[in-house]
Amino acid sequence: MKLARVILAALAALGTLPADSAAQASPGQEGTFVIRGATVWTGTGQTLENVDVVIRDGRIEAVGPNAAATGATEIDGRGRFVYPGMIDAYTPLGLSEIGGISTMNLRSEMGEFNPHMRAVVAINVDSDMMAITRANGVTTAITAPSGGLISGQAALVNMAGWTWEDMAVEQSAAFVLNYPREPSFGFRGGPPNPAQERAARERIDEQIRDLETVLATARAYDGQRAAGSQQTDLMYEALRPLVRGEVPALISADTEEQIRAAVELGREYGMKVIINGGREAWKVRELLATNDVPVVLGSLQSNPAADAPYDAIFAQPGVLHEAGVRFAFSTGGAANARHVPYHAALAVGFGLPKDVAMQALTIWPAQMFGAADQIGSIEAGKVATLFVTSGDPLDIRSQVSDVFIKGRRVPLDDRHTRLYEKYNARPGGS
Amino acid sequence: MIPVRSFWTGVVATLAAVFACALPAAAQDIAIRNATVLTVANGTIENGTVLVRGGRITAVGRDVAIPAGVQVIDGTGMYVMPGIIDAHSHMAIEGGINEGSESVTPEVIIPVRDDDQTIYRALAGGVTSALLLHGSANTIGGQGAVIKMRWGLPADSLHFDGAHRIVKFALGENVTRASSSAPDSLRRFPKSRMGVEQTLRWWFSQAREYDTEWQAYRQRGDRNAVPPRRDLRLEALADIMRGDIKVHAHSYRGDEILMLMRVAEDFGFRINTFQHVLEGYKVADEMAEHGAMASTFAESWGYKIEAQDAIPHNMAIMTDRGVVVSVNSDSGERVRRMYQEAAIGMKYGGMSETEALKMITLNPAMQLGVDNLVGTIEVGKQADLAIFSAHPFAPEAHVEMTLVDGKVYFDRDQAMTLRKLIDSQRNITTTTEDDR
Repeated sequence: MKLARVILAALAALGTLPADSAAQASPGQEGTFVIRGATVWTGTGQTLENVDVVIRDGRIEAVGPNAAATGATEIDGRGRFVYPGMIDAYTPLGLSEIGGISTMNLRSEMGEFNPHMRAVVAINVDSDMMAITRANGVTTAITAPSGGLISGQAALVNMAGWTWEDMAVEQSAAFVLNYPREPSFGFRGGPPNPAQERAARERIDEQIRDLETVLATARAYDGQRAAGSQQTDLMYEALRPLVRGEVPALISADTEEQIRAAVELGREYGMKVIINGGREAWKVRELLATNDVPVVLGSLQSNPAADAPYDAIFAQPGVLHEAGVRFAFSTGGAANARHVPYHAALAVGFGLPKDVAMQALTIWPAQMFGAADQIGSIEAGKVATLFVTSGDPLDIRSQVSDVFIKGRRVPLDDRHTRLYEKYNARPGGS
Repeated sequence: MIPVRSFWTGVVATLAAVFACALPAAAQDIAIRNATVLTVANGTIENGTVLVRGGRITAVGRDVAIPAGVQVIDGTGMYVMPGIIDAHSHMAIEGGINEGSESVTPEVIIPVRDDDQTIYRALAGGVTSALLLHGSANTIGGQGAVIKMRWGLPADSLHFDGAHRIVKFALGENVTRASSSAPDSLRRFPKSRMGVEQTLRWWFSQAREYDTEWQAYRQRGDRNAVPPRRDLRLEALADIMRGDIKVHAHSYRGDEILMLMRVAEDFGFRINTFQHVLEGYKVADEMAEHGAMASTFAESWGYKIEAQDAIPHNMAIMTDRGVVVSVNSDSGERVRRMYQEAAIGMKYGGMSETEALKMITLNPAMQLGVDNLVGTIEVGKQADLAIFSAHPFAPEAHVEMTLVDGKVYFDRDQAMTLRKLIDSQRNITTTTEDDR
């Protein structure tokens, strides 16, 4: 791998690069490929040993022993494992680059209600963070706007593509809603005084009323439009798929109270709810299971509340699974979305079965965001978004050797590997 | 009924509170038997025994006779490693100590608190020691503290005897207050990396003169001579130049790391450890030659412009080039899973398992000056140990037990038992209230 890159660099320097080299740059090399003799975790409850995966025209053509693959580039999969591309179910990838620089973080709009804002149109195709993410087999992510009560529409996007249209799996994967919550008062100020608490409560009540008014109006608007009204409004037009239950509402809610209210909100206004964050989801697991409400878990790399058990955050996925609640993992960030499987690993350390952790990284988020017909499992006919690794993807020590996104073999070099190659090659040293 | 129930409720609550919060561990002779022992010093021992007596490791190996009266822990299927050491923490100090006005304050010593539950959560992640530092708002900051996680004991008892005296320096965006939008008239010098160098040179020049004055006074031995005016700040700087106080320098970019080493060399001292040191890989040869060590993040990058060239291969390159590297938490969150952070060293740049383990054990011990006491599983060392349910780098790993000075300060089984007790007590209370 390393040698291949060195040779490629040398050829480039000599100006004798093969004609198709441009195609090997991001977003990847098109073609027909066959991964031979690998162990395939299909995401449909099967682990197939010593099988071939044929990739043609962007799709998985076949999965099975001794598959015919005329004209295919051969990839030796012996001793290796093939998994569906992993999904980070909540990030600002492509919208946000360097956290500390405000001009590189244009993720929120003015005001409280922005359902017509579409994250997908603002994705920087050449984000360094996306390249770094895909190199570890995290091929796809929810990229979400933030702020206000309805932030806008999150997109489900691949980590490689020529344009945002090319990258999008679902341009409108979910509406991002933020259930009203108490403002943080800051640790320096100490606990809020009664007047502050009252003001905060009043503000929350007002926000809840506003949110319900908008959703009720959206229902009425949808009814009028369905009845033939020609009067349109950008914001309410955007909300129609939300209140018709066609595109899910990804509602941030962490406390038991917020989660219950979010589920109720969905029932009242015809929304298909996904809980986002869900720090106390385990407390309402029966409600979630009964109503088939899934959860996008907030970063597992976070501390439980002061009065919660030390392992509350790590142990929650296992508890939810036992109760029959589906969930996905998320980092909430862009820089280390690549390491979302190690968030899942923390849950495995505290009781979640490995197979379930992998489902929550692949097929479950694909189902939640309406893309299970395209990605999330390795089956003939599906889009070839998958990766090859030396071992268990949940194990930090495993090394990803190949990544395919929409059947393109994605280059695995990125900002980090380029700096590594440069300084690792510095003469001298001990 | 209710009075009786309330009585037992009270007893249970008291017991639970006592056990869960502040019961200092008892001294015991312990043998961990039939475990996989990651000694860090001498490889891995399968089916090994670690014998602990009087707070020290007295035997390690496959065939260790366990004397009568020693408590035996069955380590079947488990992994024992040296207690994890975090070389950069802000736990157990008053929330967010920082100095944003004075640029030079090495005479200040930060106080330790014993009531931060991060200590307990760190223990639950196998951590036994940490270097506590204040923030990075000034060029030459104050002195930190090295502690052991003796949860339940008063603050004075947390100090790690034998550790270095350590002062924090800082470079780059934080000390220049680069993100400040205040006008120059409201800001302090320095506001550039150039100014940081000159701040260092000016103060160490002053300190050198001060020290010369005192040495001359002492050499004269004239009882009647008037001593020079004592200045605690310059005295601390002189201690730094003599190597009595070791420098741990917050740093990001290669240029500033190189600059600080050259300044230190000009004043005759060495930088003990660069903290964060995200571009250490760009000047690793120079660091090795200078004798500086490095304590870095495993994966953090891209959160500000000076972290834009941070790469996870940093640990591997610096190690390759002869720098002693640790990976730290700098966080009350990461401190609970430092074993994951160390594993990232194996993923990027191909460190060996032992090298990766050293980054959270022996190497930080060297940086804190306690490598003769802890950091490996060897006879004679203090029995600071973490017992994992699986290999600490494996996804299924969690900490079963953590020992400090041979005493069990964290025990997952006990924690789960107490949790059940507390939950049942809470349920009783709820029922009682509903009855009213």
